[in-house]
Amino acid sequence: MKALTFHPEKCTGCNLCRLACSGQNEGLFSPRLARLKISSCYTGDGLEVKGHTCNLDLACVRACPTGAIQEKNGRLAYDRELCTDCGLCVSVCPNGVIVQKKEGVGVCVQCRTCANWCPTGALTFEEVSH
Amino acid sequence: MSYTGKVLRVNLSNGKVQSEPLNEKWARDYLGGKGLSIKYLYEELPSGIDPLSPENKLILMTGPLTGTIVPNSGKLAVAAKSPATGTILDCSIGGRFAPELKYAGFDALIIEGKAGQPVILCIDDETVKLRDATPYWGKGAHETELALQETMAGYKFLLIGPAGENLVPMACISSELYRQAGRGGIGAVMGSKNLKAVAVRGSGGIKVPDIRKIMVALNKIRREDTMSDDNMWAYTDGTPMIVDLSQSTGILPTRNFQEGTFEDYQKINAEALRKALQAKKACLACTLACGNYVRQGKAVVEGPEYETLALCGSNCGIGDLEAVIEFNRLCDDLCLDTISTGNVVAYAMEMTEKGVHDFGIRFGEVQKYLEMPALIARREGIGAELALGVRALAEKYGGKHFAMQVKGLEMPGYEPRGSWGMGLAYGTADRGACHMRAWPAAVEAYGDLDAFTIEGKAELVKNMQDENAVKFSAIFCDFWALSLERQAEILSMILGRPVEADELKTIGERINNLARLFNEREGFTRRDDYLPERIHADKLTTGPTAGKLLPKEEYEKMLSEYYAIRGWDQDGKVTESKIKELGL
Repeated sequence: MKALTFHPEKCTGCNLCRLACSGQNEGLFSPRLARLKISSCYTGDGLEVKGHTCNLDLACVRACPTGAIQEKNGRLAYDRELCTDCGLCVSVCPNGVIVQKKEGVGVCVQCRTCANWCPTGALTFEEVSH
Repeated sequence: MSYTGKVLRVNLSNGKVQSEPLNEKWARDYLGGKGLSIKYLYEELPSGIDPLSPENKLILMTGPLTGTIVPNSGKLAVAAKSPATGTILDCSIGGRFAPELKYAGFDALIIEGKAGQPVILCIDDETVKLRDATPYWGKGAHETELALQETMAGYKFLLIGPAGENLVPMACISSELYRQAGRGGIGAVMGSKNLKAVAVRGSGGIKVPDIRKIMVALNKIRREDTMSDDNMWAYTDGTPMIVDLSQSTGILPTRNFQEGTFEDYQKINAEALRKALQAKKACLACTLACGNYVRQGKAVVEGPEYETLALCGSNCGIGDLEAVIEFNRLCDDLCLDTISTGNVVAYAMEMTEKGVHDFGIRFGEVQKYLEMPALIARREGIGAELALGVRALAEKYGGKHFAMQVKGLEMPGYEPRGSWGMGLAYGTADRGACHMRAWPAAVEAYGDLDAFTIEGKAELVKNMQDENAVKFSAIFCDFWALSLERQAEILSMILGRPVEADELKTIGERINNLARLFNEREGFTRRDDYLPERIHADKLTTGPTAGKLLPKEEYEKMLSEYYAIRGWDQDGKVTESKIKELGL
């Protein structure tokens, strides 16, 4: 399967990816609602770049008790009707990129909007193995 | 909508916090950022107040684009009456604070009064609290911000260092360690309020009309306009690439503006810095990532920008890159503006060398030079004198002829004798000698226009000032050279109503006239719009500008023409008809 892949050495921390994700999937610009996490921050040791994206590990699909999250044709599909807001998916996601919203969750659907906005090629869509 | 419609007002004297509606008429007339903050200050500050008294107000202003995906829209305007000049003062700072303030639900934060003891103002959406900052008082901005980000997850910060605490008129405000609201002593205003830091965290977002459609259009603009060859210098080398341009055109300030070229320029230029580059860093929503995190020997910094390389490098006779990087880091940590600090050190060096007054430091003396930032920020030893700034020092000790300042603000890195329009830009900028209100060097020294004529320069400067006022109000980063038409196109998308370029031009003009009215009310007139005598009297001696000066009578003519084009009288006063025309 192909999935979003992050290359920290190319990232400038502009967060256009997260603005794009929230705009595309939530209808407003709010980095906290983005289904990927990217940060570029100075620590005592210098500049630390960290990023997490959905790599289709599917832990959420396995954990979901109601089948609200499923994998269809290499993408996650989420059904709000089936979701009981149990929060299991959020807690098992190894990348921490499932967003707990006031109602329901946001999962990455590999729409690639983030990669389309990345100015440096730090986000790509590549074959992943688990 | 893209404005949150709310302004947070905090009075540090009595702890009163209130959320009030944004003045929509003003937002329409002044957009946001620079323009809108000046409008609030003009309406709310009585004339003649002491900038370091509780009566001054510190305004943090976002714009209609802040927090959206519009490329290069992440900057914040920080405004107050300037303690360095007594003029209106607005600064621009990058990082992530501005979008976060919007996500917390506010277009602006107005800080009034003075806290009884050092505080940190913490804003978490609607919840506003004051925290004790006593443990951090006296500490550098770097140590403070690193400590705060350990305990306050998700917050973004604006801070001051010892320079601001000690009310030094060249103190800046810092964010993310290496971003600054630099000029005019804005950090001293914060310090005068006993405000060590502002922390903000927001859980909200910004809604705009037809968001998906707009995103497609904006991404095309980002690829084709923002990331065009005209702007990519910001990503590749950033501002250090200007060192070579200035050297080759003879406008690189050297040894307190005695010369326009520097024999060691290759030690402090973009090529030298390229070897030191560790990583690139951008502000939120910025596609150009001008931030260069560099390491040379033991010294690290994000920077140095061109202004620092020029004023703290060549202008101090320092051709040692590691030393300039370390000087830059010290200034950032202590929160000193590198333009003014480099200038004041260079002035002291010339005073000493010329035997006018012995400040104990000469051009090129690296060790002493590196001691200066801490002494100035803490007002210790010779630093207690240098902390007065160039203008006050010249009044006290002489050397007025080469006190390189306008209205009390020290001069940036573009020699006006080799770029005559720059002289007018410095003379007429609202906050004193500033290169960000208009930057004619780009088209004269570095471009095709004749740099040694006043022909057309008044109009050039006026137009640049008006267009830049729009950019700094919308808010777009200065490093995106975008047209007014493009700004109008983007604002139309985000505001959901048609905005025309002509309308923006009028807004830019309105902002500059209001800034002038503010200064006029403080007593500024034509006599304050002049350059230091050196520019008119001392011929440069090296490189392509050897033998050049900017004759005083030419400057007078250019200034008069500028007033005429502005529709001001010959004292530089805004006329009644102009006030009426612009609806001021």
